[in-house]
Amino acid sequence: MFGPRIIGDDGVELRTPTLEDYHLFAKWQLEPAVTRFWGPRLQDEPPSGAEERMKKDGESRTSLLWTIAYADEPVGFTGIFGIDWVRRDGETGIFIGRHDLYGRGIASETVRLRMAYIWNELGLHRTHNWIALPNQGSWRANKKSGYAQVGTYPRVGFRSGEWIDEWLGEAFPHTFPQDRMPPPWK
Amino acid sequence: MALGGIIRGKRTTLRTPTEDDLGAYGRWMSDMRVRALVRPWHEPAMPATWKERLTEQTKEKNGALWSIEADGGVVGLVRVGFGWEPHRDTAHLHDLVVDPDEWRKGHGFDASLALHRYLFDYLDLRRVTVNFTVENAGARRIADRLGYVEFAHKHEVHFRDGAYVDELELLMERPVWDERWGKTEREYQPLGAR
Repeated sequence: MFGPRIIGDDGVELRTPTLEDYHLFAKWQLEPAVTRFWGPRLQDEPPSGAEERMKKDGESRTSLLWTIAYADEPVGFTGIFGIDWVRRDGETGIFIGRHDLYGRGIASETVRLRMAYIWNELGLHRTHNWIALPNQGSWRANKKSGYAQVGTYPRVGFRSGEWIDEWLGEAFPHTFPQDRMPPPWK
Repeated sequence: MALGGIIRGKRTTLRTPTEDDLGAYGRWMSDMRVRALVRPWHEPAMPATWKERLTEQTKEKNGALWSIEADGGVVGLVRVGFGWEPHRDTAHLHDLVVDPDEWRKGHGFDASLALHRYLFDYLDLRRVTVNFTVENAGARRIADRLGYVEFAHKHEVHFRDGAYVDELELLMERPVWDERWGKTEREYQPLGAR
């Protein structure tokens, strides 16, 4: 599934991805400046694979994906994945592909919009995520919208001579701060 | 990697699953005693569907499935996923199901010890992880005895009997294996100096 358009504050909005966005997603994930806490920076599909991947994502009943736009330009993606409709649980994630835009609050606003949609429109009971502990911007953004740490997974990834732990978080509808609820749910 | 080979325990043997095992798999996944403790590995289905699932499992590139045999019959299954590329130096124990009619006979621990010997002493992995609900006392006993430590307590994760129950995340590191089991549990006897 893809998410609908949700307009937030300060020039941030979530919108339904386009094929052009998918080409950007693939390109960003090969960039060293934005993948320190991401995957192995290897491409496992040909350029033509973006269309097939987008089709699969759109048809999935267990995931939901948005493009993050800032000042009307695509700058990343976010969503919820591996949704278990019996447990009503899923894993959330966010990727900002523009290093030059770090620190502007894009992640915090994205998480706010995403979580408001999940609680008000998907009817889920719980969400969870695993974030590199040194990636403070990411887990702080999640905490502002109701995530709390439930554990630390030690020595998960190795980057530049050091092991990196992961921050394990979870959120529930009742942990979302009601004074931060965006329209149209406010 | 999709279907596991032979791993011998003292009382159980992990072996390659066959279509003959699928009837038992279907029984366990429809048994409420199992479902109260674990998320089923597939829902109950027609025999033909189970055959398709086994075929799909043979194509799985990131994990392996074994049947657990004891006293000449299949008494359980175990499914392991392997870590991400490019390191692939960890594993996650996705499923360990023992036939409820065979509980409390030690099959679960014996099969788990043999499996971990294979993972640490044969595959040379760095770490194995597992998760289970706080109500799964059998899994907790096995994990504690093997040397697992808890690193997260997740709230209201598993839904059964009209309510949610918490779930634990645990890990076992290679040094713990070496210290606790390395001297006595070997896939092969050391070759010694040549």
